[in-house]
Amino acid sequence: MESIIAEGLTKRFNTIIAVDHISFRIREGEVFGLLGPNGAGKTTTIRMLSCLIKPSEGFALVGGYDIIKESNKVREIVGVLTENPSLYERLTAYENLWFFAEAYGISDTNERDGRIRELLEFFDLWGRRGDKVGTFSRGMKQKLAIARALVHRPPIIFLDEPTAGLDPESAKEIRDLIGRLSKHEKCTILLCTHRLEDAEKLCSKVMIINKGKNIAIGSLEELARLVGKPTLQIGLLSINEKITDSLKALKEVKDVFIDPQLSRLILNLDDESSTPKIVKEVVHAGGMILSVNMVYPSLEEVYLKLIREGTA
Amino acid sequence: MRLRKVMLVFKKDWLEIKRNHEVILPMIIIPLILSIGFPLVFIVGITMVPESASSMEDLENMIRNLPEHERNALSQMTPLQASIYLFTLYFLAPLFLIIPVMVSSVIAADSFAGEKERKTIEALLATPISDSELLLGKVMVSFVPSFMITVISFIAYSILVNILSFTMLGRFLFPNLLWIMLIFCLSPAMAFASICLTVIISAKVKGFREAQQISGMLLLPIIALMLGQIAGIIMLGPVIIGVLTLSIILIDYAVLSLSVRAFKREEILQKLI
Ligand SMILES: Nc1ncnc2c1ncn2[C@@H]1O[C@H](COP(=O)(O)OP(=O)(O)OP(=O)(O)O)[C@@H](O)[C@H]1O
Ligand SMILES: [Mg+2]
Repeated sequence: MESIIAEGLTKRFNTIIAVDHISFRIREGEVFGLLGPNGAGKTTTIRMLSCLIKPSEGFALVGGYDIIKESNKVREIVGVLTENPSLYERLTAYENLWFFAEAYGISDTNERDGRIRELLEFFDLWGRRGDKVGTFSRGMKQKLAIARALVHRPPIIFLDEPTAGLDPESAKEIRDLIGRLSKHEKCTILLCTHRLEDAEKLCSKVMIINKGKNIAIGSLEELARLVGKPTLQIGLLSINEKITDSLKALKEVKDVFIDPQLSRLILNLDDESSTPKIVKEVVHAGGMILSVNMVYPSLEEVYLKLIREGTA
Repeated sequence: MRLRKVMLVFKKDWLEIKRNHEVILPMIIIPLILSIGFPLVFIVGITMVPESASSMEDLENMIRNLPEHERNALSQMTPLQASIYLFTLYFLAPLFLIIPVMVSSVIAADSFAGEKERKTIEALLATPISDSELLLGKVMVSFVPSFMITVISFIAYSILVNILSFTMLGRFLFPNLLWIMLIFCLSPAMAFASICLTVIISAKVKGFREAQQISGMLLLPIIALMLGQIAGIIMLGPVIIGVLTLSIILIDYAVLSLSVRAFKREEILQKLI
């Protein structure tokens, strides 16, 4: 089932077109990555989907609700991590979460206090719950802002650069949390990030935008195919000429490279479905196979290539 | 409209305001100056330098417009007594309106423009609290404290003036119908107008200071009223205050509908940057 459907979403600010007719669909429980350089229109897209600004054109359904006509329904089921933490610095961590929990309709005191405690403990902020947020470090504010986005257990979550300002350990915790929310709680997550390795680890589908326009959309694999073919890497106990010669003789193999340090063969193929045949050939030639990997171009390579092509 | 959400916004804003000395200081200092400072300076002035009390001719302009019984009462007094009487009951009356107008607009400027400036408005607008609930909660948090402060200042002022008038005139001047109408009818009406105007201003400006500076213009009608009294064009009395209150209520209605129109969540964020 689709949690989010966007059709031709467009936002103009005076003369600037911040978001230019983008369309996408996000399935329930999916982590969808929205990538793009600074000023691409990621934050503006999130703001439209969370009903903070009205699109100039196009429409979107979030959790089945129209973002223009049923904006209050959308706000109820969505949790947003805004680009800047947007926390009340004169209130304590606890008071901030108290306010937002009530605002999102958690009126039962026990339930609310339990939820706040659970979140603050998870983010290691329970000990600082009585301190004013103005005294927090940037990463602590970021964690509290994430806690706020999750306080009402929203089924749909928009995260605008969740790991910005976090140390590596905390960033990993957030990554694990996002994975858990999607897998176990079936949360649908729209993730904007500049950390491509985060997107690579988490997202089942990715959209790359630049200057408001859609450049590419698809699974990591599909995007990888856009910029190049995968390579087959075969790790061997030892490499000899008999093996390489027999591989070069195969018509399915375009090039054979040897990575002597790792004792690995790197093959360019026309079609990855010939992998079994190739493996068989290696075994036949007496090769002792340790590993077989299909390696796609990394998201970083894909991203950089697509953005450069787009601007060229 | 859900009252619970309105009260939630009220409570949250009050928590913030209580801890913001930029808001709390004017909330304390303005009432102190007007309800205690001015009368004390006046008392000290006329008792230390009795000739500083105006002569009857200087007061002629103000006296001319007073109702008959007031004029008769004044004609029985010495110039010193008459100055005390006119200063405490009439001259300070329009100035006292500064308290509800300024206190409410300082709070409103923080609650609307301040929240925008600190960028906390984005997360607030993402919640399912409706525009009208947000607006009402924030108008209330500007109104309730300003009204309470006005009443407390009035009580302090009454006590001080009564002490003075008892020693100098041999009678208590408060309670007095003019002032009761001033504090309980005209003040709230003006506070409400100043809040709505501050909401409209806040939608157009970047931050708290700018909103506060522009809303300082709200003092102009008060100063005009004060000068009008000195010049003898107008003299406050229960009837005039009643008329003023009714006209301000009409203005309230107009600025309220304008502020409802100015407070549209989708537009607030568009102009944030
Ligand atoms: N309120 C606004 N008024 C005018 N222009 C705006 C407004 N908000 C965004 N823009 C413009 O829209 C474009 C997209 O901005 P947006 O914040 O969506 O980018 P982004 O992809 O989130 O960038 P970043 O990675 O730097 O966060 C930019 O050119 C920006 O200047
Ligand atoms: Mg952004």
